[in-house]
Amino acid sequence: MREYVMFKGSRNGLQLVLDDSADFTVILDTLKAKLESAVVFFTKGTTVEVPSKVRVLTLEEQQDLAKLLATYGLIFCQTTEEPDIVEEVSATMEKVETLFVDKTIRSGQEVLYIGSVVITGDVNPGAKVIAGGDVIIKGACRGVVHAGAYGNADATITADRLLASQIRIASLIARAPDHLEQPEYTERASIKDGNVVIERVDI
Amino acid sequence: MGDVIVITSGKGGVGKTTTSANLGTGFALLGKKVALIDADIGLRNLDVVMGLENRIVYDLVDVVEGNCRLKQAMIRDKRYESLYLLPAAQTRDKNAVNPDQMEKLCKELVQDFDFVIIDCPAGIEQGFKNAIAGADQAIIVTTPEVSAVRDADRIIGLLESEGKHNPKLIINRIRPHMVKKGDMMDIDDIIEILAIDLLGIIPEDDYIVVSTNRGEPAVANPVSGASTAYKNIVRRLLGENVPLMKIEANDGFFTRLKKVFNF
Repeated sequence: MREYVMFKGSRNGLQLVLDDSADFTVILDTLKAKLESAVVFFTKGTTVEVPSKVRVLTLEEQQDLAKLLATYGLIFCQTTEEPDIVEEVSATMEKVETLFVDKTIRSGQEVLYIGSVVITGDVNPGAKVIAGGDVIIKGACRGVVHAGAYGNADATITADRLLASQIRIASLIARAPDHLEQPEYTERASIKDGNVVIERVDI
Repeated sequence: MGDVIVITSGKGGVGKTTTSANLGTGFALLGKKVALIDADIGLRNLDVVMGLENRIVYDLVDVVEGNCRLKQAMIRDKRYESLYLLPAAQTRDKNAVNPDQMEKLCKELVQDFDFVIIDCPAGIEQGFKNAIAGADQAIIVTTPEVSAVRDADRIIGLLESEGKHNPKLIINRIRPHMVKKGDMMDIDDIIEILAIDLLGIIPEDDYIVVSTNRGEPAVANPVSGASTAYKNIVRRLLGENVPLMKIEANDGFFTRLKKVFNF
């Protein structure tokens, strides 16, 4: 399926990139579903930019979009800027605060954040965590985790019990072996010499 | 004022309808006034499992659309004085009702009944949204299979995002000898992933098939293993402290059970 609606991290908050050919009602529905599935993770008051270079919206469409975003506490803002290029985002990473999530991320839920994410709870199979920076999980990680999602190859993934089905760092993807041993210690995944490496960490 | 409990699972075929029928009957056996609502519009089953199919005149959609009064659509079970069923429509689909209407309906029923039990359809679409709208408690049914547990996890997440917290878990169709051999997920594995309170476990029981086909909920049968398990769950829901059933492999049990029913 094509992604009609995509959120990207940007300098001022989030950037919403809309498909230029899809019907506007489809876009609204997709956006609603997206917001619905991750509603707790979009911090209230975040500005959402919609670059007009990608898709030009009519005044009415803008109002609809603003209304929908407002119900989730997000602020709509149309910009004329080019969509941010990935590198620019990672350059500003240090300034972004870390997101703390104090609950278990369940199947079908998604945490999407521009900076680092710390999760106190499990990441269950079928759940997704996508972070611009590091991901730290104080619990069992059985889902899909993507650290450095905007190109930061120095990002790491740490979990008390790293049982992820897939680990992604920057543009690299590592799959769990078919027969995963169950580690009883904290592990950290990072990129070394172009490979995803998992090492034991002692705390 | 009573409680509105939705029985849900995400995955189909794990025993939502059987659980709804048995918990409803179980409450009624203890003298509680119970309304069962079949929210599975278009694929109604609860009436068949309850053996009340031939008494349906009006259904849920008729009530919502104002074709009849709520009391007219409620079917009273002759065997258990305090048990009523509101059947689903078979000729319509899930979009015939919306969550607001269901919420209103539940609010009305809860005035008169001790327990309103909603049998939720499989899936996470309109039917699910309708079923959970009016509920203030949710019971998740799962089986010891990875796919069912995965779907249960998704459902717990969706319930949370609808502001319905602390659902309770029933693990259905446990086969003791398989758990013992390590061929089946055991209770601890499931609880570790789902991290919610366990309400009860139900052993695999051939008598469920018999009771479903006869339209007599198993809970009314004193010798069936599933019946005891459902009775325990009912008592726990009423606040009693009942220890979990032991799931020991007892090879003689099922054989003995079969002898009782001659098949």
